[in-house]
Amino acid sequence: MVWFKRSQFLIVVCLSLLVVGSMKLTEFDLSKFRDFQNMGDFLSKWFPMNTESLPFLFQESLLTIAIAFLGSLFGLIIALPLSFMAARNTSKNRFVYSVTRFLLSFLRSVPEFVFGLILLTTLGLGPFPAVIAIIFHNIGVLGKLISELIESADKGPMEAMSAVGASRWIGNLFAVLPQIWPNVLSQFFYRFEVAIRTLLILGLIGGGGIGQQLFIHFKTFQYQLVSVDVLLIMIMVILVDYMGSKIREKVI
Amino acid sequence: MIEFKNVSVTYPGAREPALANVSVTFQKGEFVCVLGRSGAGKSTFIRCINGLQPVTEGYVKWEDKVLSEMTHKETLEVRRKTGMIFQHFNLIPRMSVVQNILTGLFGYKKSYENLLGLFKSSDRLQALEAINQVELTVEPTRRVEKLSGGQKQRVAIARALVQNPKVFLGDEPVASLDPGTADRIFHLLKETHVKRNLVSIINVHDVCLAKKFATRIIALKDGKLFFDGAPEEFDDKIYAEIYNHTS
Repeated sequence: MVWFKRSQFLIVVCLSLLVVGSMKLTEFDLSKFRDFQNMGDFLSKWFPMNTESLPFLFQESLLTIAIAFLGSLFGLIIALPLSFMAARNTSKNRFVYSVTRFLLSFLRSVPEFVFGLILLTTLGLGPFPAVIAIIFHNIGVLGKLISELIESADKGPMEAMSAVGASRWIGNLFAVLPQIWPNVLSQFFYRFEVAIRTLLILGLIGGGGIGQQLFIHFKTFQYQLVSVDVLLIMIMVILVDYMGSKIREKVI
Repeated sequence: MIEFKNVSVTYPGAREPALANVSVTFQKGEFVCVLGRSGAGKSTFIRCINGLQPVTEGYVKWEDKVLSEMTHKETLEVRRKTGMIFQHFNLIPRMSVVQNILTGLFGYKKSYENLLGLFKSSDRLQALEAINQVELTVEPTRRVEKLSGGQKQRVAIARALVQNPKVFLGDEPVASLDPGTADRIFHLLKETHVKRNLVSIINVHDVCLAKKFATRIIALKDGKLFFDGAPEEFDDKIYAEIYNHTS
């Protein structure tokens, strides 16, 4: 057993205790699946799909994509400079580093739903507060992820840029960004995908788009429309993922 | 032209200094090779010259100015006129040969010009000339990660050449190249050195290369200046003392 140390057995014991405790708290019990007949009955109500309002739902899907797109793109644009300030190797000093880190974790700790609720009071119902809420949360998430990419970038090019006499920020930008760009893109597309799913929750508070439709259809027992909503959402997520991997291929 | 006076560098947390009380002066036209075992302080020494590594004690002087007392602008100017090449080339990935070479002009341009890539046609001409000078035969629009090690180092030298340098620094520039390529790269360095009348200070591991090309050899041992003289004076006895493993 050369791979293991004695202390690692302790970790296994602790982990097992945590698993057991968590299962108790979550009433985790696979035997409950014996009633899965109900699920079948429920799902059978979803079909046949009601395709009558497909054009309208399609339009709502476009709205969802537009919200998710703006929310993640603007998030990325604002997060990029912040992440350079929040990375240990490119930050101007400890103070800037700590303040930006704190700001990013604050933005990350507030869920989009909460931002949405707060923004409702000034912006009213509709897609606009949803866009802003997603931007805020994405700044926090992308800022953290990108700053970690920056910290793990090869420092050779940075040294070369200072040796050339480039100003600090230009040197950092050129030395780091081409290195991390493919990973930045994949984080962006992942956040884009997540934003589409987040919009289901923002639908609860009138965020607009297909998420809101799903919520309405579910609450009014129109399951044959629910199935169409779910299908459209799946198509969108897969599409964004596919597009992301194609674009990333080009960049690498 | 460049003067080290009692220079010591101690890294934070280290007990022994990486560079200990080194005093040495370099004149225009000298092609200096720096020898020494791994960890003898060669890289630290080279980095003190353009201020990439701040000194703990003593000072480094450029002409009449002490490096550590210069303004930020003056430091950048020193770096601008110092071409530096590295063991791992330190090119910018996912950028083309000519784009990489143009980054050598960053010290001459305003930030917004660099950001947007606003280079004059004379700048581009200069980059193409540099490609010729380093005898690089690849497409200028090729991405640098597609090149061989020798070609990458030639791009790095071209990047240093467009800086229009007065001083050339090399931190083990041939350590990751095969012997034949290493020899050709040194030829190129020596040739440009003579043509442009530079001061060149280059770290090497290969004593034969040093003796073949250098006009002066200095050797470091445990951070101290151990030898400083003409290549002919560097004999087997000194060789043994520098590379002898005492620990």
